[in-house]
Amino acid sequence: MTSAIAVSGLVKAYGPARALDGLDLTVNTGEVHGFLGPNGAGKSTTIRVLLGMVRATSGSARLLGGDPWADAVALHRRLAYVPGDVELWPNLTGGEAIDVLGRLRGGLDGRRRNELIERFELDPRKKARTYSKGNRQKVALVAALSADVELLILDEPTSGLDPLMEAVFQQVVGEAKAAGRTILLSSHILSEVETLADRITIIRDGKAVESGTLAQLRHLTRTTVAADTATPVTGLERLPGIHDAKVEGASVRFGVDAEHLDAAIRHLTRFGITSLVSHPPTLEELMLRHYERKEAA
Amino acid sequence: MTATLTPARSRTGSRAESGQLTGTVAMVRLALRRDRIKLPIWLIAITALVPRFYYAAVSAVVPTPEALANASQMIRASFMRVLAGPLFGDVTTRSYFLAAYWVEFLLAAAIMNMLLVTRHTRAEEQTGRAELIRAAAVGRQAQLAAALIVSLIGNAVLALLTAAATISIGFPVGSGLLFGASLAAAGLVFAGVTAVTAQVTELTRGAGGLAGIVLVAAWLLRGAGAMQGQEGGPLFWLSPIGWSQQTRVLAGERWWPLGLSAVLAGLLIAGAYSLASRRDLGASLVTPRPGPASAPSWLRSPFALALRLQQGSIVGWGAAFLAIGLVLGAMTGGMEQTDLPIFSADADFGRAWISLMVFTGSLYTGVFAVLAVIRLRTEEVRGRVAPVLAGPTGRSTWYWSSLLVTALAVAALLAVYGAALGAGAALSTGDPGFVGEVTRASLLRVPEALVLLALPAALLGLAPRAMSVAWAVLVYSGFIQILAPNLGLPGWLTNTSVLSHIPWHPLGSFAPVATVVLTVLAAVLATLGLYGLRRRDLVTG
Repeated sequence: MTSAIAVSGLVKAYGPARALDGLDLTVNTGEVHGFLGPNGAGKSTTIRVLLGMVRATSGSARLLGGDPWADAVALHRRLAYVPGDVELWPNLTGGEAIDVLGRLRGGLDGRRRNELIERFELDPRKKARTYSKGNRQKVALVAALSADVELLILDEPTSGLDPLMEAVFQQVVGEAKAAGRTILLSSHILSEVETLADRITIIRDGKAVESGTLAQLRHLTRTTVAADTATPVTGLERLPGIHDAKVEGASVRFGVDAEHLDAAIRHLTRFGITSLVSHPPTLEELMLRHYERKEAA
Repeated sequence: MTATLTPARSRTGSRAESGQLTGTVAMVRLALRRDRIKLPIWLIAITALVPRFYYAAVSAVVPTPEALANASQMIRASFMRVLAGPLFGDVTTRSYFLAAYWVEFLLAAAIMNMLLVTRHTRAEEQTGRAELIRAAAVGRQAQLAAALIVSLIGNAVLALLTAAATISIGFPVGSGLLFGASLAAAGLVFAGVTAVTAQVTELTRGAGGLAGIVLVAAWLLRGAGAMQGQEGGPLFWLSPIGWSQQTRVLAGERWWPLGLSAVLAGLLIAGAYSLASRRDLGASLVTPRPGPASAPSWLRSPFALALRLQQGSIVGWGAAFLAIGLVLGAMTGGMEQTDLPIFSADADFGRAWISLMVFTGSLYTGVFAVLAVIRLRTEEVRGRVAPVLAGPTGRSTWYWSSLLVTALAVAALLAVYGAALGAGAALSTGDPGFVGEVTRASLLRVPEALVLLALPAALLGLAPRAMSVAWAVLVYSGFIQILAPNLGLPGWLTNTSVLSHIPWHPLGSFAPVATVVLTVLAAVLATLGLYGLRRRDLVTG
């Protein structure tokens, strides 16, 4: 068994609206798979189909070698799930909620649970009604990450976490990966998945538009560079792979294809760089690039 | 799968791995843990009403045989049978207690079950907690099954507690158990009704509302059946509330009518399972239509926002008032003439009945008002008020806008109810004069409803955690006023009820002093609420 999740041609229709429109998604066993897309692209619907909560209209979905609808209960013993918007029972404490969720799955590792509570700085004795969104999120994360499961399905799991806790989350997911777990990490923020993900699938309007390693996807696209120079930059437009160059006095801003980045920076140094900022393509830029390529074709 | 992983194994090893009901036991435990306060309060409260009502009944009828005869005669009058009765067999303090209060016990058991089942089914789906649960090794039907098992446990305990309570006031053991079982049976039927309605609508309030409509229909059928004969006519037998009463506790007892309840509950539960297995999590049979993409042009002030937020509830209550008013009004023509001391001030029994119904409408309007104000607190706690107050809307504008909408709705509801009641009466008696007369009588009760609106408003500002006190005052006022005539309560005690100051007969009496005093009291309470609201911290999110 090499793929933990194998989805092909998945369609979910709500009346005339199609939340999923022929989605393909393959997650290999043992990898961290980034599942990216803008709001409303169909990420959560896909996950609900995979969890057997929603029945697909057509297409096929296999999860850990089983049928997500028919074998839901048996499969759920082997996976843990964290939604992006966690609601808890207001009159149970956070600690109680963690245990309930763990036990419903067939038990959790108590030592791991306590360690995670400490690392996420969660007070498990407080009633859930007093928790902020971030703290409710931590409850679901601790319950999921202290379970001894093969697959973690995380749907925008860090919404509401502060940057320090996000760093803890990244470490813990890294440990889960090292322990051999497969992780499906859905997000609409590329930076959140890029440090963790082995492969990425980008979806939009219920269809997968790109799939591959981040390097492969990056290769298709371009880096944004903004620099201040001692003298105004000239001759940039003659270089290959430069897009949307804008020179305003001593400031310059342009996009550059990955394979031409080296040449572009060499060119800039001739004008005396005083400040340089470059950032990798955002999700939005990946998406835009995708559409540009589609139109060009 | 890599070697570092030990696959988690089922703890309930023998159970089928993919069973639809896997995890039910754990879900029952979770539900009982969540309900550790709520459910016992319901059970104890209902049980405590047994001695409470019994001694009320005893004090009303024990003093003299004439008092008992009078009270029984009143309960046997056709219009009282709609609300109370039937009085089976010989008249004793115990049979009088049953005749006067059995229906209330049955309604309370039904409501306890409706809230319990929505709380553990649709409410879980609506908040998204069901998604967390179902992602664990929990079968598709486990949550519904757990809700019904908890309801079964609750009803069994209710039956035993109320049996013990009735035995303690002198019922034979068998009669006490039958009484307890009659409550449990009605409770189970409405657990089944709610299990079905929870599949039909997407929102918890919709599921509860639909079940409420079924309860009102069952209550109206029972009332209409009660008018058909002293011991209940054919329509009585169409109501699950009627079946519980047809066990004739203390007078020719029989258990078999509860079999009807058991069969209906079983059918409803089977129906709920069948519906639940056909739908996606969070989905419903009735899918909400998409709403407008932009706000209408009138929605631009705090008042308009308050109106928009309360619109659904106002329209729903208005429709219910219209239907109930018409039905109750239509019963006027069929009233038997009975010589009753308490309605001597009224020239005829039709008007005596209408007076009583106008008063009941005022009580229900009080329920609407309290709910509407308590919702303001919910809005605050859920963090939905903060974004409004973070804009250029002050606390006092928000507060008065919200209260004004509810106050106008209270007046509108009383007008609708009065007009419907009057129209029903006019149709059944052929006297068109009823329409105007009853509408006016209903509107005369607006000041009462305003006090019931202002009281929770005062608490919202001064003691928001104690807002449920408003319920206690409402229930207390209703009981005092309903009990006053047949208990011979002292005047000072009757006067502590908010609902005792505007006379309910003769129909349409106007009491200028009470009207002014109640209106001023409402204004003072509402102002106190604002005083508190401007000084306390807001709860956000």
